Amino acid sequence: MPVMSDPITLEVVSKRLGEREVLKSVSFAVKTGDVFGYLGPNGAGKTTTIRILLGLLELTSGKANILGEDVSRDEARRKVGFALEQDGLYENKTAWENLSYYAWIYEVAESAERIDKVLDLVGLQDRANDRVGTYSKGMKQRLALARAMIHDPELLILDEPTSGVDPSGQREVREVILNMAHGEGKTIFLSSHNLDEVQRICNRIALIDRGEIKLCGELEQLQQEMSNREVVIETAEITSEPLFAELKSIPRLGLQEGRGRSLIFVPQEGVKVPEIVSFLVGRGVGIEGVSRKKASLEEIYATILEKAELS
Amino acid sequence: MRGMLAVLKSDVDDILRSKGFLIIAIILGVVTIGAAVGINIPLSRWLNHGLPWNKAKPLLELFMGLAVNYMPLIVLYTFMATWATDPIAREKARGTLESLLATPLTAKAVWMGKSLAIFLPAYIISILSTLVVVLAMNFASILPATGHFVLPLPTAVTGFLFLPLLMFALISLGVLVSFITNPVIGQTIIIFIGVVLLNLVGQVGGRIIWLLPSWDYAFYNLAGAALLGTVALRISSSLTKEKIVLSSKGRWAQ
Ligand SMILES: Nc1ncnc2c1ncn2[C@@H]1O[C@H](COP(=O)(O)OP(=O)(O)O)[C@@H](O)[C@H]1O
Ligand SMILES: [Mg+2]
Repeated sequence: MPVMSDPITLEVVSKRLGEREVLKSVSFAVKTGDVFGYLGPNGAGKTTTIRILLGLLELTSGKANILGEDVSRDEARRKVGFALEQDGLYENKTAWENLSYYAWIYEVAESAERIDKVLDLVGLQDRANDRVGTYSKGMKQRLALARAMIHDPELLILDEPTSGVDPSGQREVREVILNMAHGEGKTIFLSSHNLDEVQRICNRIALIDRGEIKLCGELEQLQQEMSNREVVIETAEITSEPLFAELKSIPRLGLQEGRGRSLIFVPQEGVKVPEIVSFLVGRGVGIEGVSRKKASLEEIYATILEKAELS
Repeated sequence: MRGMLAVLKSDVDDILRSKGFLIIAIILGVVTIGAAVGINIPLSRWLNHGLPWNKAKPLLELFMGLAVNYMPLIVLYTFMATWATDPIAREKARGTLESLLATPLTAKAVWMGKSLAIFLPAYIISILSTLVVVLAMNFASILPATGHFVLPLPTAVTGFLFLPLLMFALISLGVLVSFITNPVIGQTIIIFIGVVLLNLVGQVGGRIIWLLPSWDYAFYNLAGAALLGTVALRISSSLTKEKIVLSSKGRWAQ
């Protein structure tokens, strides 16, 4: 349930651009402290959503709030930091000048110290007086993150922060983002089409495809729900033939196979793992371990998008 | 207000640092010295005829009216026609404008900040150039020959205030159009209206030249500024960030 105090809430937001409905009844909420991954293929509507959140596009219908205020209010963004698809840095200015410009705009007190602090945060303090035109893509992206942090915002909105950056640069950018989330306590909303990255840094996700939210929730929980509900039980000894046949004859348990001392079940809906365990214990089987395989984000993504493809 | 000043400061820094500005400033410096010298030669020759002051006065005021209208017009127009909307084209292409708009700044503050940034450096140079010419005419020719310092008040008000105001209204209109369409269109509007203004002042031989040192002429400029300013304000009432962002891509992009 979205709550007024959530840093970001979208309620049935639609956006038409020309003839196309680029967003269709998009709803989700970002909670305080989230690192929220906004996933979707190219052209899904991620940038459009971010532009709406930052007041760069108006919504056609619905309601969107940011830090409790309507997105159409310019002042709503006073405590929001951002890095857009195009970094928006002035290449003919130095890093310091770029930051000091935004420090002015946000009316940052003690801006010199703050600029030092954010440069330090992204590891660019020794390049502060170089022109941004001489920076690599990864460095520019880190500078864009520093700029997003210049006014110590509560919420950061980042549009594909690692796209176009080489792998080692990507790792640095990710570290900066994680530090902003856990070291500096910022709520982060980031779009990406890099599943691996989202799996590594996000706790909550929404998946958008062709303007529609296909899935939204706690990543951990989604991984559980979306797994093929495979349960692996390690037994003390290899299961005897008769017991195996008996287990096999109870469809609710969904025994798939035995692999050495492992029994692999895909239980039917409503069957809880303890039920299987107690059944086995009742037959005198010693149990050494129970595990449940989680779906990877890649599997979730593929499943959802395939379903969309079929319909 | 402070946000607008931030835009203004950053853009003025940029302009002052650019080679284009330096080159135009040097050329205008040469033009100013040329004008100061060039206008003094016929002026002092003419003053040597020893016309009585009451006959000489209207003609000297007309001379001064020409100088104090042409100098700012030429200086401001040179800057505007060469690259008034160029910084905006660059900011749209690089996405720096979109980032600026994602801050709490209003679209209007960004518009005003950028318009002022283009205008102010040119305005300051126009004041300096005009002052050089006015002082050169007075101290080299007029004062020694007549004992009077000639600078009619309406002329001063026009050249230093109303005419620049007119040019500022034109710049802000051009910047606004550049924001919501292609900057080339904004530039075209500036050049076109600017040429019309140059021609109006240049109606030498027509009736208008005698108006130059008058309050009438000062108020024509003020009225022109008010007209262009009103047009710009009317258009700006529908200025939205969405229009600026969408015009940076797709249909209007270069
Ligand atoms: N100005 C526009 N006019 C019409 N369609 C647009 C415009 N901008 C984007 N789109 C379309 O909207 C869809 C979503 O775009 P976008 O939000 O940029 O996707 P993403 O960031 O997820 O890649 C795309 O299909 C794109 O072609
Ligand atoms: Mg995008």
